[in-house]
Amino acid sequence: MTWLELSVQVDNEAVESVSELLARYGYNGGVVAEPAWIPGDEGPEFSYDPNRPVTLRTYIPLDPQAEDVRQRLEQALWHFNQIRPLGPLQARHLEEEDWANAWKQHYSIMRVGQRTVIVPSWLEYSPTPDDVVIALDPGMAFGTGLHPTTQLCLRLLERYAQPGLRTLDLGTGSGILAIAAAKLGAGPVLAIDNDPVAAQVAAENVRINQIDHVVTAGTGSLGAGQHMGHWLSGDFGEEHSADASTPPTTPQFNLIAANLIAKVLVILANDLAAALVPGGILISSGIIDTKEADVVTAFEAAGLRQLERHVEGEWLALVHTR
Amino acid sequence: MAKKLVAVVKLQLPAGKATPAPPVGPALGQYGINIMGFVKEYNEKTSSQAGSIVPVEITIYSDRSFQVKLLTPPAADLLRKAAGAPKGSGTPNRTTAGQITRAQLRQIAQQKLPDMNALDVEGAEKIIAGTARSMGIKIVD
Repeated sequence: MTWLELSVQVDNEAVESVSELLARYGYNGGVVAEPAWIPGDEGPEFSYDPNRPVTLRTYIPLDPQAEDVRQRLEQALWHFNQIRPLGPLQARHLEEEDWANAWKQHYSIMRVGQRTVIVPSWLEYSPTPDDVVIALDPGMAFGTGLHPTTQLCLRLLERYAQPGLRTLDLGTGSGILAIAAAKLGAGPVLAIDNDPVAAQVAAENVRINQIDHVVTAGTGSLGAGQHMGHWLSGDFGEEHSADASTPPTTPQFNLIAANLIAKVLVILANDLAAALVPGGILISSGIIDTKEADVVTAFEAAGLRQLERHVEGEWLALVHTR
Repeated sequence: MAKKLVAVVKLQLPAGKATPAPPVGPALGQYGINIMGFVKEYNEKTSSQAGSIVPVEITIYSDRSFQVKLLTPPAADLLRKAAGAPKGSGTPNRTTAGQITRAQLRQIAQQKLPDMNALDVEGAEKIIAGTARSMGIKIVD
């Protein structure tokens, strides 16, 4: 897919009003501002430079209407320019591949926990005998191994993924946790995601790791989660949460990894508990510190007992059993 | 050794509804940070403010890690709400979109002060009055 990037340089005081204008035309109302900054004395410190111009950008899909949108924006900026001087409106074409793959050149081999090594599928790696190697191409799915929530889960899986455990990875994204569980010996592993793009990426990563016989990847969810849309859509399907048509979840998993978000964990608390066999282990993450209490309360009400709590930055992972 | 800062990017996005599509993808992809990592973090932090635009400041470090800081709503948004105007004027040099009082201006300046390059609330007021003018919103006593 091709996009049209529209950008304009403005002085500091015009940032807000020109952003408002760009947001009216840009895709998803999104605007990017790249303010000039001055590095501080300490590494990560910085301050803004109010005397240098700020570049503002917005994006529109390059379709037959794009030129019309560009012209309307140019006209709006012309009127604006009568009050306050602006730079000219610049336009350039941008291919999705340009940015969708740009991060790949910086994605490198990474060690997480004691034994897990994440290897981008396009790189070579010679493992030591103890290494648990996960070959991965996360594409546009969540789960590169870089995010604190993924790292917390991977460390916990090193402890809890044992041979013979029936495992569920709910919201699998790139498939990283399911693959880690399988490589650590657990199985059979079911890796599901309600985002079909993620389910496809996960299936491909399972294939790259040659564990198709242990891990089944596909589109799906659990209980109330079957009524949810993609988590990006903000559709949590609450109106269905008490729907009697949802098939009852039966206890079948010894180990569940659910790296979701707090709100979804709360909605799924009962289903997660019901899917777990007595004595089974639930690893949950994606929980931001301010929402910890919501998840803890919901899990308790669902009859789960907390065993562990781990923190990294603002993110938490919890371990429960029933 | 402290990690090095490589970029500071501000994004205006609808709360809880960021996607990897533009503007997020192109704005962040070029710095080598994982786009879905950001999207998940932004949506989780803003989900309670759905329906508003929540700007965010992303600081990106040399090791590809990043920090996400939510900012106050855009002044343009606050001005529009205060004026009861659905949008700013497309021709601010000719037509007005609405009006606000000095007291409303001060209130917005106070709310925005933490994120502004202004020394005090008077300085912030001046900047926001400029924004109002360029949106075609009049300030009345």
